[in-house]
Order: sequence, then C-alpha cells, then structure tokens
Amino acid sequence: MAGLTPEVEEAVAELRAAFSQNEVEVEPDNAGGAYVLVRDLPLGDQYRPARSWIGFQITFQYPHADVYPHFTDPTLARTDNQALGQGFARTKWHGRDVTQISRRSNQWNPAEDTAAIKLAKVLQWIVNQ
Amino acid sequence: MKGPLSLRLPEPLYQRLMAHLFPGDGDEHGAMIAAGICETERGTRLLARELFLAQDGADYVPGERGYRALTARFVAEHAGYCGDEQLCYLAVHNHAGCGQVQFSNDDLASHERGYPALLDITNGGPVGALVFNQDAAAGDIWLRDGERQVVDEVVIIGRRIRYLYPAPLSSRMAVERMYDRHARLFGDLGQQRLQALKAGIIGAGGVGSLVNQQLAHLGVGHIVVIDPERVDLTNLPRVVGATRWDARAFLTNRRRLRLQQIGARFAQHKVKIAQRLARRANPSVRFEAIVGDVVDTENAARLIDADVLFLAADSMQSRRVFNALVFQYLIPGFQMGAKVVVEKTTRQVDDIFTVERPVMPYSNGGCLLCNGLILSDRLRDEAVSPAQRAAQRYVEDDEVRQPSVITLNAITASQAVNDMLLMVTGLFDATVNLDYRRYEAQSRSVQVMGIRRSDPRCLDCGQGHRSRLGRGDRARLPCRVSQ
Repeated sequence: MAGLTPEVEEAVAELRAAFSQNEVEVEPDNAGGAYVLVRDLPLGDQYRPARSWIGFQITFQYPHADVYPHFTDPTLARTDNQALGQGFARTKWHGRDVTQISRRSNQWNPAEDTAAIKLAKVLQWIVNQ
Repeated sequence: MKGPLSLRLPEPLYQRLMAHLFPGDGDEHGAMIAAGICETERGTRLLARELFLAQDGADYVPGERGYRALTARFVAEHAGYCGDEQLCYLAVHNHAGCGQVQFSNDDLASHERGYPALLDITNGGPVGALVFNQDAAAGDIWLRDGERQVVDEVVIIGRRIRYLYPAPLSSRMAVERMYDRHARLFGDLGQQRLQALKAGIIGAGGVGSLVNQQLAHLGVGHIVVIDPERVDLTNLPRVVGATRWDARAFLTNRRRLRLQQIGARFAQHKVKIAQRLARRANPSVRFEAIVGDVVDTENAARLIDADVLFLAADSMQSRRVFNALVFQYLIPGFQMGAKVVVEKTTRQVDDIFTVERPVMPYSNGGCLLCNGLILSDRLRDEAVSPAQRAAQRYVEDDEVRQPSVITLNAITASQAVNDMLLMVTGLFDATVNLDYRRYEAQSRSVQVMGIRRSDPRCLDCGQGHRSRLGRGDRARLPCRVSQ
C-alpha cells in the first residue's frame, strides 16, 4: 500500500494472514505507519457486544515501536453489569468515540514481536478478564 | 560511482582478517568480504558487513595460473549470497612485505577473467578484490557499467581510526599556523584528518551547541547540524553563541502573551546560531545548517556519509535514527546527556549526572537498542500527535522544563568531543575501554556503566538476515516516510 514503510506493510500482510477470517481495514497515517481496524473479533460472552472490532496504530518506527493502545466499541460493557476494570477507558481515537485497551509491552522485542502477535495477546487478555 | 572510493572496516572484522591473513607462516591466504555501499557527493564507501574466511587447502588452493586462488565453489557460494542479500562481493588475499602493496599481473588477469560473470551473479555488484599486507591495502573494484575503480583508502573504524593506502602518501600540506599548538599534540597529519572530517550533530541546544563550538575550534572541516527549534529566552544561558537579539528578548521578555508569541515566531533557529559561531571560529568551515528533524528521511540522509556523529537531542526517535545511522553506515557515534532529577512533590534535587555513550559500529560496540536505551513505548508515544497522547493519557511531558545548566552540558560535550579527537588522531591507548561513562556531579565520581550488551538478533548491530549492519544505501533508515 502506498505511503507505508516496508516494515508496516509486512505487519499488515501478517495481520491479514493471521486474521484471514476477519476484515482488515488499513489507512495510512501519512508518516509511514497505518491505522488498522480488524472487524468481528470474539471478545467473549462476558461482554456486550460479544464480538466487535479492534483498532490500533502501527507507527512508522515499527517494529522497534510498540503497538499500543488498542481500541474497540465505545459501548463495550460487561453483561454482569460490573465495571470493565483496569486497563479499559473511554476516550476518542482517530475521530471516533472508543473504549481504549491499555496493554503496553514492557519487554517488546523488535526481532520477535509483531502487530499480529500483539493483537492476539490483547484479544486473549480481553477474553480472560 | 562518484568521487573517491573507500572501504570502511570495523576494527573487530579487520583484526579477524589480519589474524587469518598473517598467521606467521609467511604464506598467502584468502577470504571474502560482503559489503554494503554508500554513494554521495563526497564519494563512494564500501561498508564491510561480513567476513568469510577461506580455509587453506579447501577454499584457497594452488591456482592453475597464479600462486593461489579461491575455489570456484567458494566463489559461487559467496557471490550467490551477495546477490541474494544485495551486497558487494570483495575477494581478499595478502602479499608479504610492508609499506606498499599492489596486485600482481596474475591477480589482475584473474579479475578480468572472472569479474564480468560475478557482476551478473551478484545483480550488478559492485564486485572486486582487495590485497593487504601488514600496513597497506589496494583494491580493484568492478562496476555494472564496465567501469573499474581503484580503492583510494581503507578506513579501519575502531578505538584508533586507521587509514591504509596502496603506498605511503607522499605530499603533505602544512597546516595553518593558527593550529600550531594542535599540531604539537597530534601533528600536521592529525590536523589534516580533522580538516577532512565531516561531523554530524543532532540537536543544537545546550549540549549540541557546545559540541559544535568545540568541533569548529578544533578545525573540523565540515559540520552538519540538524535541529528544528528556534532559540528561546530561557535557552540563552546554555546555547553558546546565542544573543538576546536571537531570542527576540525585546518581545519575548514582555508580559503580553501576544508579544511573546510574535517574538517566539521570529526568534533565530538554533542551527543558524551554530553556523554563525562555527564560522567565527573557523571561517573556512563548510557548514550545513538544517532546520528540521533528523527523523525525516531527507534530513537523516545528510548524515549518511559523515565520519562521526554526535547525538545531543532528547527524543527516543532521534536515538532510533542515530543508532541506525551508526550501524547501517559504519559511522562512530557519541550519545550525550545531562540530567538533574528532581523529586516531583518536594522539588528536592535527587541526582545530578551526565552520561557519555560511545557507540561503535560493531557487535559489543555500545548499541543503544541492545542496551535498553531505545524504549519501544516511548517511540510509539512520540509518533502520535500531542492531542492523541493526551487523550490516551500515557505520557507526561515532564522533560520539557527539567533543570539544566551549561556546566553539566559542557562535561558531557567535552568528554565526547575529546574521545572523538583521540580516536581520529590515533592518540587513544590501543586497549582503551569505550564503555559508557556516567559522571555523578554531587559526589564527583565517574561510573563505568559495565559490560555493554549485544544481542546477536539485534536488527541494528546483529548479523542476521534482517539486520541493517553495514548495508548502507541498500537498507532503509527508520525515518518518517516523505509524503
């Protein structure tokens, strides 16, 4: 895709391969990075909605830059009416209301970590809450 | 290929090569170097990335036409590797003697027989050969368009930067009388080395302005300074050469916000102040004042053929680009910093220190990535807009108004420039330790920051397939993409 660094392009290709059942939307951020939205991901039955999109920005210094935070449906709530808890916050991202999921990687390793692996880990964390 | 042609060899690679070529048996031995390339208006640099030693009797055997030759299998295997990796293939052997060295007629005839085909195998190379003796080196480089070029200079990048030529350089110009006291320390040749040097400075604030001043006074011939900022009234006690006029103090020192804003808008750029100062110290300096961010590709590109780099900027993104430049283009660098740590609630001073980190372009050379000094979260934070950062509530911009004084800045700047001086003029001890140094101002103690780490998988200093080490123009710098 025009305007992305080769490393970000590679990350997008890996995301499309790893989440081949999901629609992956990509929009360049005009610095070489991209805003990415992966649709219809399973967040878990403890949430309403149980499936939704997750968005994030891969910045131009990826893979050295961590990929965080992640964002999802602004109406996300627990079905047991408890608060979403630590790591979740309401905010705005890329012009829209969202629920922010804050999962910074303290041990990010650019030789091994990728945007797809990070998304899988974030998804796993959401499901386990 | 433009201008003079040089080969840059990291010191550990050169030491391995010399140990292989000169084991004490007086015989010839062979090897191969896979190199990246950097082409600019200053000339062309071949950048030694990997060394493959040819095993005597198996890879390096008696030749049909000459004394010894690399086997066809060794050549094919390594030329194929260079083609796959977009690297230049450089065959290496040695001759006896010292002082001067040249290829034999048999050597040159073998180049004519083999190198046109090697250019095809390596997708255009360049390809070529190098011959070394103990203190001289010569090279015959073949280009895609059928042109041939000799290697003018081999530069060994290490604690003492060394230069090898096919024969001793005969003519030496006398240096200007103004540098007489310098020449008494490192000779006319040392002063000429400084005059031929291109130094890049990232950041023209408190530390960078001092580095610039010292380089200009030393007689460094070419200085490039990159900084996007204009000088501010509060910078005046630290940015050397800056005046109240530069900061438009008659406007910025007023109470009315509107006047302050107008003053700030028309204040002088820091790089222009650096330029004025450098030219006063050395009117013949070639100075490039770049108003911009090194994170932008076109600005970083101005540093790829520098001989030494100084990082005097705070941002993690600048560190990222600096580290990449060091390893991708085999340029020794120095990262500097001074910090006063203040407890947030009591405002008590907890610590006052400076750091100086030499970064040499080889494994265990002080890679900032391997040593945990380029933080992945801060790289990400700096890449998004301040509004986004505020919305995501991850970052406090507490660095902006940290205490700062010229004396601390001068300690780290002087340490780095002095290290560069001793490196370039060959005055360092042969076994000098280039570990990071931290000066604790309150206790007047200097700490050596321990053994420097190096991760073989590192994408900057490692030698894996994805590493940028020595690839030069054939890899991309981690910069913002120009739209």
